[in-house]
Amino acid sequence: MSRTRLMLKQRHGLRIDLRGITPTVCAGLGVAQIERLQVSQGNRALALAELFAVSREDGEADELRLEGDLSSCDRVGWQMDGGLLVAEGSVGDHAGGCMRAGELQVHGDAGLLAACEMAGGLLTVQGDVGDFAASTLPGSMDGMRGGSLVVRGHAGARFADRMRRGTAVVFGDVGDFVASRMVAGTVAIGGMAGAHPAYGMRRGTLVFAGRGPDVSPTFVPALASAEVFWQLLSRDLARHGGPFAGLPARRIQRHLGDLGVDGKGELIVVT
Amino acid sequence: MTAPMVRNGVVIDDGFAEAFPMKATRIVITAHNLDWARHAATAATGFATSVIACGCEAGIERELAADETPDGRPGLCVLLFSMSGKELAKQLERRVGQCVLTCPTTAVYAGLDEGEAIPLGKNLRFFGDGWQTSKVIAGVRYWRVPVMDGEFVAQETTAVTKGVGGGNLLLLARDTDAALAAAEAAVAAMRRLRGVIMPFPGGVVRSGSKVGSKYVSLPASTNDAFCPSLVGLVAKTELDARIRCVMEIVIDGLTEQAVGEAMRVGMLAGIEIGAAGGLLRISAGNYGGKLGPFHFHLHKLLAPEGAR
Repeated sequence: MSRTRLMLKQRHGLRIDLRGITPTVCAGLGVAQIERLQVSQGNRALALAELFAVSREDGEADELRLEGDLSSCDRVGWQMDGGLLVAEGSVGDHAGGCMRAGELQVHGDAGLLAACEMAGGLLTVQGDVGDFAASTLPGSMDGMRGGSLVVRGHAGARFADRMRRGTAVVFGDVGDFVASRMVAGTVAIGGMAGAHPAYGMRRGTLVFAGRGPDVSPTFVPALASAEVFWQLLSRDLARHGGPFAGLPARRIQRHLGDLGVDGKGELIVVT
Repeated sequence: MTAPMVRNGVVIDDGFAEAFPMKATRIVITAHNLDWARHAATAATGFATSVIACGCEAGIERELAADETPDGRPGLCVLLFSMSGKELAKQLERRVGQCVLTCPTTAVYAGLDEGEAIPLGKNLRFFGDGWQTSKVIAGVRYWRVPVMDGEFVAQETTAVTKGVGGGNLLLLARDTDAALAAAEAAVAAMRRLRGVIMPFPGGVVRSGSKVGSKYVSLPASTNDAFCPSLVGLVAKTELDARIRCVMEIVIDGLTEQAVGEAMRVGMLAGIEIGAAGGLLRISAGNYGGKLGPFHFHLHKLLAPEGAR
């Protein structure tokens, strides 16, 4: 097992695309080989060593640490399939996109489309995420389809658009159209939501642990108790802490919809 | 010739119980309160005394406090055993579908984590007629089926493991009262253990069987060597004139160790009653050791721990 450190040498004006730089790829290579890995900056292909200083040390797991000002680095952890990737600061767009396994920690903010089409693993963002997190790539039919996304800050608009599976948790507020066109899965919001939550929701669960939203008239109040299900779900959400810590002891109101589409989704407001 | 083992006046036969590998699973049934969980578990484990004609052997393993269950409600652990994984899956689905899904407020979960998965709520979900929904929580899929009291929640699958079936004790007593007292005490002691069930009514069977019959269509028939009513009539009897009543306790367990421990505590409970209480002998049923791979020798089970 080894820990690989990539230190960004200087901030760049052009975007850097870090697809292909994952813990499992780096774990199988020596430092010299890692330095020769190709990344793109703008429309140029460069050796990784032209942008990052690469070093290696022993570690307990296959770990890759990115250091420096990473806000111009896109696709951090793109298609990641194992190991631990730690970004020591804010990252650009598509962080954790299409990741299948492993853990990605972002110690800052993430840009647009974080965790888009994520299929497995755990992505934790200590700061905020931009629009379309946990959603689809443009033109695609399914959004996040597995794994867990934990956002400790706020999220932008269209959070979990077309989400199909997995769990996405936001400690703070979310923008407009959260869980729009949601197919299935679980979204939990600790703060407030913008306009039109769960618009076109087909199935799945949207939990508001904080202030409840204005519920669309295309949702109907649920008359029956779902206490068993709530205990299963809330105990799992509670392990994230923060606004979700006390959920199992709290009561809920459920609304079923969106009747404009399949109508099997549920919007849970914690009272 | 080894000296006979006598404990508190009870003769312990120098024999062994012969047990067989079975397929086993555990499920957890919870409900609004323990009474309703017990209603469901009792119904689901009904008519499940012997694989000879019931399809499976099943029983309630133990009660679960609210803080031991996935949904924070009281519940019960149920063990089911069958001769094949396919038959076990069939029995599980029928029993949960007819006895747990139907019982007010219940939910059902897997009680084992490791092993081949068999459907629990996976097919029962279709009772929802299209209104059923699934939810994956912490990597486990649950089905929510709308029913008239709200919704029935069932974990999608449970696991099958290799179990041990057919551990047994034969309690030979001077009369019915003494035999029942010894059997009841033994069953009560065994029920305090985990990983075992005693599938017969009250944990006790009075119709111990031998393999085969004079009637070719019957796979099993009365164990005539232990029938007091046949002493003097059959060619070979295991009884003497003092023994007028015999009870058997059959034990199925998730492991060989669990079955052995249940037999041990059962014997100790009988020994505590002793010959003064009417229990004269403890024996065990076997088929000469040629059919089942698990042999539980009574003397070894009662030996000090280091000598077993």
